Formats: sequence, C-alpha cells, structure tokens
Amino acid sequence: MLWKDKYELGVSQIDAQHKELFRRVESFMQTSRSAGNWEEKVPKLNETLEFMKTYVVEHFRDEEEYQKSICYPGYEAHKQIHTGMVNYVLEVSKQYEDSNFNEQLMQQFGGKLLAWLINHVAAEDQRIADYAIKKGVGGNGR
Amino acid sequence: MVDNLYKAFVDATHNVFHLMLDLSDISDHPADEFQCDDAVDIAIPIVGDLEGDVIYRFPVTTSLNMVSIMSGMQVEEVDAFVTSAISEIANIISGNVLTVLSTNEMTCDLLPPVQRQPDENKEYELKTSCCIQTTIGLVCLDIRLNRVKANHV
Ligand SMILES: [Fe+2]
Ligand SMILES: [Fe+2]
Repeated sequence: MLWKDKYELGVSQIDAQHKELFRRVESFMQTSRSAGNWEEKVPKLNETLEFMKTYVVEHFRDEEEYQKSICYPGYEAHKQIHTGMVNYVLEVSKQYEDSNFNEQLMQQFGGKLLAWLINHVAAEDQRIADYAIKKGVGGNGR
Repeated sequence: MVDNLYKAFVDATHNVFHLMLDLSDISDHPADEFQCDDAVDIAIPIVGDLEGDVIYRFPVTTSLNMVSIMSGMQVEEVDAFVTSAISEIANIISGNVLTVLSTNEMTCDLLPPVQRQPDENKEYELKTSCCIQTTIGLVCLDIRLNRVKANHV
C-alpha cells in the first residue's frame, strides 16, 4: 500500500480523500505496468483516469474550503499549485485521447503523478495541518 | 553565492529524499568530475534573476531504487515511468530551492525538466557540483547559473 500514516492531516474528510487518491494511483500503476497487451489495459486505465479527473477536482475544492475555514495563510499559493495540477491532468488526458491512447504518455503521467502526489500530500498539505495545530484548531486531537 | 547555492541544493535534496523516500543516512561532498557511464541526466532549466541549468545525474541503480521505494513495485529498467518520476523529484528539489532564494529577493522560475547532458561549451559565472551519497546510491548535481541582475546577493 502506498499510503503512509505520516501523511495524515487529522482532518477525516481530507485524509479519506488522500487515501482514495493513493489507492487509485496505485491501481493505475499496477494496471499500466502489468505484463500484457496495452490495448487490453486501455479500458481499465481510461476508467481510472476519468475517475481521477473528477475526484482530484473535488478533493482540491474540499481541501481549499478547509483552508479557508481555518484562515490558512498559504491558501492562494496552495490553490495555484492545485490549479496547475488540474491543468496538467486535463492536458495529458487530451493528448492521450488525441494520440489514440498512447502507452508512453500514460507511463510518463503515472511517474509524475506518483512523485507529485507523495510530495504534495507529505509536504504542502502537511503544512495546512501544522498551521491548524499551531492555531489550536487541528483535528484528531493532534 | 556559489557556496549558498551549493548548500541550498544539498539541503533541499536532503529534505526531499527524507520526506519522499524515507532516507536519512545522507552525506554530500563537492565533486569536480563525476564519472558514471549509466546515468539518467535530468536538466532543470532556470530563468529569472538566475539563468541556466541544474543537472541532476541519477545513476541507473539509484533511479531504479528511488522509483521502487516510491511505487512499492519492483522496477527493473529505466523507462518513461521511471524517467518521469525522477524528473518530478528533480523538479520538486529545484522548486524548494527557488522558494529559499525568493526569501533572499531572488525571483526565478523553473522550466519543465528535460533529459539532456550539460552543455560544456557554455560559460557560467556560478558553477559548482556536488555528489550526494545515500543508502540507495549516489546522486550528483551540476549547478550552472548566471546572474542576470548583478545587484542581488
Ligand atoms: Fe490534498
Ligand atoms: Fe493540496
């Protein structure tokens, strides 16, 4: 499992969404890197990709709402990072469709997504939790 | 300035490796020449108050180990997935350095990572290299930058 407890923010809704994101990225990697014919993997990958496109947007929105609710000072900068990622996902999936489901594009996407997600959740998102704790509004009694 | 840059990149690499790969046993030393036949060179172009490239040289074994740790999967060859994952790490480290520089009123931006080797024919005012040793292998950084605004630092 890719998820690690150290990624926890102590906000149950956000933590549940992060876990789901890690699960989906893991399943995406397992499918895209499994042995066998690429064409046969395409339907399952497309399904995960479509799910991610919606879920990432929802998660970012909820996380930004949470930041606002605790008056997180890094809100604007964080929102910009989210927007950058959403644009990247949309751009890649468009290229992917235009290329008629090119494998290289999806391998690249998987690699970047994996590293990006680990860093974003472990570093950027963690700063929100640190702030909440400092302010005495952190969840899970942290 | 060169010393500061060196330190900023080493520290950022430390932090990112610790955070993302759970590596803690990390040391560094300056490198004049780094010889490694089988390596993936990821260049991160920098523009703004500083311009040039930072080239991250990941030997193949280091690259495979890094991606195996991150993905939890056995990774046996450097393919598009591996290259893309380590490019993103180079991007993250460089981004963290720029954040530090911005507190010194240096404004720079990163361009997307490209897989290429250093351009030996270009002259750089700020030029330094370091090797970072970890339990999963070496990583070497080649910093080649020019100051665009001379009044800074
Ligand atoms: Fe998040
Ligand atoms: Fe976030």
